[in-house]
Amino acid sequence: MDREPTVIARTVTRLVVPMILVTAIALLLQGHNLPGGGFIAGVLTVVAIALVYIIFGLDYLQTELLDRNGVKVPYDPETGIVKEFGNVFALGLAIAAGSGIVAMAFGRPFLTQGILFVEPLPVYKYLEVASALVFDLGVYAVVVGALLTITAVVGEE
Amino acid sequence: MLAVVVVPFLGAALTPLVYRVLGERTAYYAAAVAAVCLGLVANLGLSGAHGTVSVPWIPEYGVSLAFYVDGLALLIATLASGVGVLVFTYSGGYMHGEPGQKKYYATLLAFMGSMLGVALAADLIALFVFWELTSVSSFLLIGHYQDAEASQYAARKSMLITVAGGLFMLVGFLLLHDVAGGVAGVESAFRLSGPADGGSMIANAGAMVDALRAEGLFVPVLLLVGLGAATKSAQVPFHVWLPNAMEAPTPVSAFLHSATMVKAGVYLVGRFRPLLFGDPEWVLVFAILGLVTMTIAAVLAVGASDIKELLAYSTASHLGLIVAGFGLSGYVGAETGAFHILNHALFKAALFLVAGIVAHEAGTRAISELGGLRDDLPITAAVTVVAALGMAGLPPFNGFYSKELLFEGTWYVAKDAAASGSPLWWLLPVVAVFGSVFTFLYSIRFLMLFFGEKPDELGEVHSPPLAMTLPAVVLGVLALVVGLGGVTATFGVHLQPLEAFVASVANSAAVGGTEHEAISYHLPTEVTPYVLMSAVTIAVGAVTYPFFDRVRDGVRTVRSVDPLRPNWYYDGGTEALDRSSVVDVVQTGHLRTYAAALALATAGLALGAYAAAGVAVPELVFAGLELALVVVLVVAVASAVAVVAAPSHISGVLTLSILGFMVAIFYILASAPDLALTQLVIETLVLVIFLLVLDKLPAFYGGPSRLRAGRDAIVAGAVGLTVTVTVLLSTAGTPNDVIAQYFVEYGGVPEEHPDFFLDAGGGGNIVNVILVDFRAFDTLGEISVVAMAALSVITLIAMRDRGEAQ
Repeated sequence: MDREPTVIARTVTRLVVPMILVTAIALLLQGHNLPGGGFIAGVLTVVAIALVYIIFGLDYLQTELLDRNGVKVPYDPETGIVKEFGNVFALGLAIAAGSGIVAMAFGRPFLTQGILFVEPLPVYKYLEVASALVFDLGVYAVVVGALLTITAVVGEE
Repeated sequence: MLAVVVVPFLGAALTPLVYRVLGERTAYYAAAVAAVCLGLVANLGLSGAHGTVSVPWIPEYGVSLAFYVDGLALLIATLASGVGVLVFTYSGGYMHGEPGQKKYYATLLAFMGSMLGVALAADLIALFVFWELTSVSSFLLIGHYQDAEASQYAARKSMLITVAGGLFMLVGFLLLHDVAGGVAGVESAFRLSGPADGGSMIANAGAMVDALRAEGLFVPVLLLVGLGAATKSAQVPFHVWLPNAMEAPTPVSAFLHSATMVKAGVYLVGRFRPLLFGDPEWVLVFAILGLVTMTIAAVLAVGASDIKELLAYSTASHLGLIVAGFGLSGYVGAETGAFHILNHALFKAALFLVAGIVAHEAGTRAISELGGLRDDLPITAAVTVVAALGMAGLPPFNGFYSKELLFEGTWYVAKDAAASGSPLWWLLPVVAVFGSVFTFLYSIRFLMLFFGEKPDELGEVHSPPLAMTLPAVVLGVLALVVGLGGVTATFGVHLQPLEAFVASVANSAAVGGTEHEAISYHLPTEVTPYVLMSAVTIAVGAVTYPFFDRVRDGVRTVRSVDPLRPNWYYDGGTEALDRSSVVDVVQTGHLRTYAAALALATAGLALGAYAAAGVAVPELVFAGLELALVVVLVVAVASAVAVVAAPSHISGVLTLSILGFMVAIFYILASAPDLALTQLVIETLVLVIFLLVLDKLPAFYGGPSRLRAGRDAIVAGAVGLTVTVTVLLSTAGTPNDVIAQYFVEYGGVPEEHPDFFLDAGGGGNIVNVILVDFRAFDTLGEISVVAMAALSVITLIAMRDRGEAQ
């Protein structure tokens, strides 16, 4: 893409991207009781980053946001950000599988999920903590890492 | 018993990891795996376990992964693992600096597992699967040097011939299965072998043969199984693949193409002998097949110009001898086959290892360029003396005794047949002697590589590493021991364990439950017709040898006439297929051809299944549709039509995403917010990716031809119809609601609950609770797929320039 994006596009992106990211995190956390969940949150995060990528370019993403200067080939699997993305989905898989193994450590079947109610609390009265959130976090990380890899590699082509 | 088969496959799976740590020393790891198998097999043999182990596989069809141990199975299993140990050790020296070692060792181990499977399988289907696995691994190993044209040709050829034969064999197996179902004593219609008092086919051989004859299937089954055996064991006219298979690294030739895989065919003959032996068909088919192969291949071996080619034809010839042995009637036939399997494996594997050493150290395999190697390779020369003289059938070396048994067998068969008035059978012993003369000739020729004058052109010959000489020496010593056993037996000292073992092998191939405690082999002590046959063989061979070059030239002249050329039929056939226009239609190299075939096949199968099941498409009910829904759907349909008419890629993708967003709105209207959210975000992301890719595509392809447009319309129409019918049928179905009930009941927070609980989902969003709790294992699988997709993208696109060089 040879043309520079307009000032409007750049400004709107700056404003919108944080909002999308916050929304994504909200979707991740509320997924247990309201519409949302790790998968949707993950895809939404990727959309936010893809927006930065389209408007500002992969170089900006790499040098400014991820602070990786001097890397010539961004999609090089050894040094570029793709490696970083790869780490993200590897970590996600580890979290998801690990959360299941923890259940096994307590003598439960693989991937048994539990719910813990913490009460009484001020303001909220009670807080519901689901172990499934950890698993969802894994899903989130895998989706983010994998989709970012695909967009970066395909986009570079 | 299962462990014997499982261990090599596990070993093969771990090979890539081991290779990272050990590098070229992986050879010794593989040898250790083989040694473990050998230990397990030896344990099976020593403990006298003759039972059946069975694991259900496809219980609906009565197929099981059943294994049974008897003498014949033990022999083949011992060869597979024992020669395996030696060959892996040898590879450690031979494969030094060769490419693709990871693949090499993994495939070789997998082959060993398959071969052990073939040997031990007691179920027809299991036998077939392991049988084909050996063909596949042989294909990979012959094609080890992937870039060489000759390797590709050889690998394709062996695959085509052995797999085609295997398919005929499968048909034979299915016919057997069909008949066995109606035989009273047979418990499981796929169970081939088992204890004599059990419900296997072989235990009820008499009833099976009667049933087969009643159906008129006896001869077809015999021929089909025979075809499988003949292609695998390179019997004439299917012997053409074996010499080409020598393109494989020499350890592979020693292992697969002399000691084990090609033995699968003769193993099959031995295994079916008790079941399908019927006079005179069996003798007619196998004795003649074997003797003809033995003779033709021996003649061709004399004409060979390369030491491995010579050994390859010689292998085919000796396999012919074994088949002929099994083909003969009486216990002596079983003895011949059983004993020669062992003897041939010992001397031929040794000779192949010798050939590898010669090629490696002298740098050439051409017979005419080699000679006088004795001084440079003294140990190898000693091994060759023992092995080559055994191959020639010279007393007191091991091959003599089994050949003597063959002569004895042919003599008696001919005598019996002549007594009942068919003198044509006298041809059997005559052909056997004729073929043996040529065997004698080429064996001596091979031996002479080490004697006589060393040609001047032959450069310096290095001495081979210990890893290469040791396995050859071990095999040579074993062959010598077997030979000397015969000498001592002449004076009353018998090699008890060996004789009992060979007898147990022969017992498994014997007809009608004939059992012998031990065989007895020794040097001849009196003059019998078959001793005279041996004497004639050796005498004629010795007289002819000085004229070896003339004999060889004669063979080459005959061989060069087209219809007599071994490869003429194969090459002609494959070339004719290549030239035919079928290939151009089926393999266009265009993605759209394959996509169309795939889509049409899917649609056809699905619609065909609906038609076969006789389901009725439910009536469409339009009443009660909300206006909003109708509007959304109309927009969706309109945008779908617009996609087709879009003038450019960009507008096409944008229009397509209108369709996607309409679907999202539809989800909202159908109160499925989770789906709608997902659809929206995914649609956005797909749009972004599309736009990134479209940048690189040409703007316009040119208008499609009318013909292609019509064809595409048919494909699209078929797919659309299939999807519509499927949706209608599946939404009309009313499945049992137990699962949905369960989810609703346990998905939320129970009304009374402790602070911590595990038995319910505890979430308000049932979709997410299903995803992360009830069906979390599925989700784990799905995210693994997502991660895998990302990895594939990296490998396919970002790493594509790296190539295979590492």
